[in-house]
Amino acid sequence: MNIETEELGKAVLVKVSGRMDAENSHEFEQACEQWITRGTKHVIADLDGLQYVSSMGLRSFLSVAQKLQSDSGSLLLCGLHGLPRQVFELTRLIGLFQVFDTSQQALATL
Amino acid sequence: MDSAARRLTLPASVESVALFRNFVRSGAVAAEVPADELEKLDLVLEEILVNIARYAYPAGNGAAEVAFAPDGPGKLYVEISDWGNDFNPLDVEPPDFSRGLAERPIGGLGVFLVRSLVSNIAYRREEDRNVLSFGFPGPGE
Repeated sequence: MNIETEELGKAVLVKVSGRMDAENSHEFEQACEQWITRGTKHVIADLDGLQYVSSMGLRSFLSVAQKLQSDSGSLLLCGLHGLPRQVFELTRLIGLFQVFDTSQQALATL
Repeated sequence: MDSAARRLTLPASVESVALFRNFVRSGAVAAEVPADELEKLDLVLEEILVNIARYAYPAGNGAAEVAFAPDGPGKLYVEISDWGNDFNPLDVEPPDFSRGLAERPIGGLGVFLVRSLVSNIAYRREEDRNVLSFGFPGPGE
């Protein structure tokens, strides 16, 4: 898994690519927490390059979203496709998150 | 499981998941399981093996065995065993989908995913062994 972050004004863009599994999903949480402790309210996770996510990855998304929401923030998802999208759909998490096609569309809602 | 089955035994740990995955993938490719199903097979193996490491061996030491055999064209029969605590993953309650984001429990999703992606999943306790068996791919959506 590779993680790149970028500040986009009202939000931080976190680009996740590769495979997010039991061995590495904590890295996504850590990357987001670094921004949350610095006062970031909104995180946009760009998942266009994500090929695989297991339930450990889903736990990380839920955990980050719950932390942001508890402080009036949000985790927005974009670029979700393929197996990761199927996994979000099967577990009905798709309805709990705001999901956009692109990061620009997500940013425009903030 | 017949004599054509292949077996691999390794420590039940997160670090072993990749080795088990490559082992079963080789069998899935040989059995002509469709290529676009292989990552779902990875997912099923990861979920089951992580559960074994967490619940069958809470103290952290123990082995898991993965065995598979071809089960007709494009299909694989898989058995995953451990020698840990009596643990039937099929008894795990399904996630409560009625809850919103703030209240959605973090957990319980792995077993639910496994059940969604395989066919004929069954658990049995065989002397001191937990055995989970299933067919792959599942019935499809």
